[in-house]
Amino acid sequence: MGPVSAPDDVLRVEHIAKRFGPVTALRDVNLHLRKGEVLGLLGDNGAGKSTLIKIICGFQKQDSGKMFLHGEPFAPRSVDDARAKGIDTVYQDLALIDELSVYHNLALRREKVHRPIPFLANRQMKQDARRALDEIGINIPRIDVSVARLSGGQRQAIAVARTVNSDADIILLDEPLAAMGAKEGAQILDLVARLKEEGKVSIIMILHNYVHVLEACDRVSMIQDGVIALDKPTAETSVEELTDIVVNEYRRAREETHNAEMAAE
Amino acid sequence: MAQAAENPASPGSSTPPAGGPASTRRASLPSRKVLLERVLSLREGSIIIVTLLVAIYFSLDTSTFLTVSSFKTLLPFFAPFAILAAGEVFVMILGEIDLSIGATYLLAPLIYYKLAVAGLPPVLSVVLALVCCMVVGLFNGFLTAIVGISSFVTTLGMLFTLEGLVLIISHGQPVSLPDAAVSTSTVQVPHFINGAHITLTETVTHVSTFAKVLGEGTYSELVWALVIVAVGQLVLTFSRWGLYTVAVGSNKLAAAEAGVRVRLVMIRNFILCATAGGFVGILEAVRASQLEPDVAGANELLLKGIAAAVIGGTLLAGGSGTVVGALVGALFLGILNDGLILKGVNADYQLFYLGLAIIVALAINVYVQRVRRGSHIG
Repeated sequence: MGPVSAPDDVLRVEHIAKRFGPVTALRDVNLHLRKGEVLGLLGDNGAGKSTLIKIICGFQKQDSGKMFLHGEPFAPRSVDDARAKGIDTVYQDLALIDELSVYHNLALRREKVHRPIPFLANRQMKQDARRALDEIGINIPRIDVSVARLSGGQRQAIAVARTVNSDADIILLDEPLAAMGAKEGAQILDLVARLKEEGKVSIIMILHNYVHVLEACDRVSMIQDGVIALDKPTAETSVEELTDIVVNEYRRAREETHNAEMAAE
Repeated sequence: MAQAAENPASPGSSTPPAGGPASTRRASLPSRKVLLERVLSLREGSIIIVTLLVAIYFSLDTSTFLTVSSFKTLLPFFAPFAILAAGEVFVMILGEIDLSIGATYLLAPLIYYKLAVAGLPPVLSVVLALVCCMVVGLFNGFLTAIVGISSFVTTLGMLFTLEGLVLIISHGQPVSLPDAAVSTSTVQVPHFINGAHITLTETVTHVSTFAKVLGEGTYSELVWALVIVAVGQLVLTFSRWGLYTVAVGSNKLAAAEAGVRVRLVMIRNFILCATAGGFVGILEAVRASQLEPDVAGANELLLKGIAAAVIGGTLLAGGSGTVVGALVGALFLGILNDGLILKGVNADYQLFYLGLAIIVALAINVYVQRVRRGSHIG
């Protein structure tokens, strides 16, 4: 088995289960995240990776199981609540608002307002947005246009910038490279590497490309059939091993279905 | 070599903004065209132009349109709709609709009347009547945002229920409002005529300040409409409330994921809209000095309020809208109404023309917006 949980875990997830009607998304998930670590979360489509992310970030509630944040019991009431406790997320669907400008999207739920009348401090938010985007090195020419006008990669960069720019110490990235070109993808991976170097944040990242996983992550956890089927430091695994696990699982499942069909006949 | 080393350090700032060349080209255009372009680039730009055209048409076609008295008769056909539409915009941006304003329009003055007759001070009665409207809005919001019934159904049910309630309570009979009524009194006025003091009895009419402020003053409704629209637009464009309203209307899931409290945003906009309906009801009742439980009239008013919002550029599908646009939409309806009357159009034809004009105005609106979008993409 892989490494067991240690006292310096910033996040621990114990026996998490979640059903959606007849569908069991997560059966019994145990996961831990060390301080400053980049954890790659793998699994086939529909394995429950996004569900797990959404439970950790407070968007959904688990049916059973517990979570611990810095050793303390952690049961987020909402996204805002989890965020206040230092967990921020880049969702698979990016959670961007098409009708709003780039800088409003970047500031959403962290808006700066004037005093005493709480009007939006747009100029300040624009400056902040410009700085945040420059920091992650992605070029968005105009930040006052609506995000609907941007390319998929640019939108993704904005979502990543929003999260990285928060005060979070745990960052969840749900397929941060999905819509990106090779160059933009490399920029995001560089950014992750830089965050890791700084050592302030711990990251859980869902990725599909195993090469990226081995390049960017310290450790991998693979969800299969609602449980963590593999948990290893990336140094001890390979693209071949990860691929084999998925393919074997696919063959096993197909055989099972086949046998069930034969039995039914 | 030094340049090459410098370049990767600032990848974000090294490229000039793409808008650069385009904006310099625009600046060199003649200023009149720039102004037109700027008006058209506003969401409410197209309806402003359409409204101006209609106003110019009536000014040229009738000799009486551009007069103060005509403006005064125009006001009741305009100001109430502007306030109704302002509230409706907040709900329509969410992609929802509120039909119950037709009911709060009747209910609020009735509650106000009952409380005032029971001896409460008029201002307190008005406040309590508006609180009742807020409860109606809370209920609409609860059923839509939390129970998950479509707002069309929720508020239609609420409309019929409350209109029925108004008929039950009022027995369908109009009553005159106590504080709004014009009271008369006789006073002895001393005169000094041809060296002799004489005293004559004269009748003086009184309109209370309360009534003057709440609808009876000639420009009262106009002032309310302008203030409400101004505040509404400020809230929509420059506050978190407005930002979240657009966020929820544009993409509920994304807004929720970003941490916006979607249900709260929806509920408070329904409260706002229902209260605007009630407030217009009170203004109109005080203006007429009487309370008329006219369900058909309320329904027509409700639909025209929604029409004003839609004409003003607010999308029924949600995500986008302006309060100032709603005001212009209401002005368009008012001018059309007033103009048709001044032109001496047969009363039977008025609704017919009004309906056609709404369709034409919206068609122009959509066309201009499409041209605008196209120019922006290119």
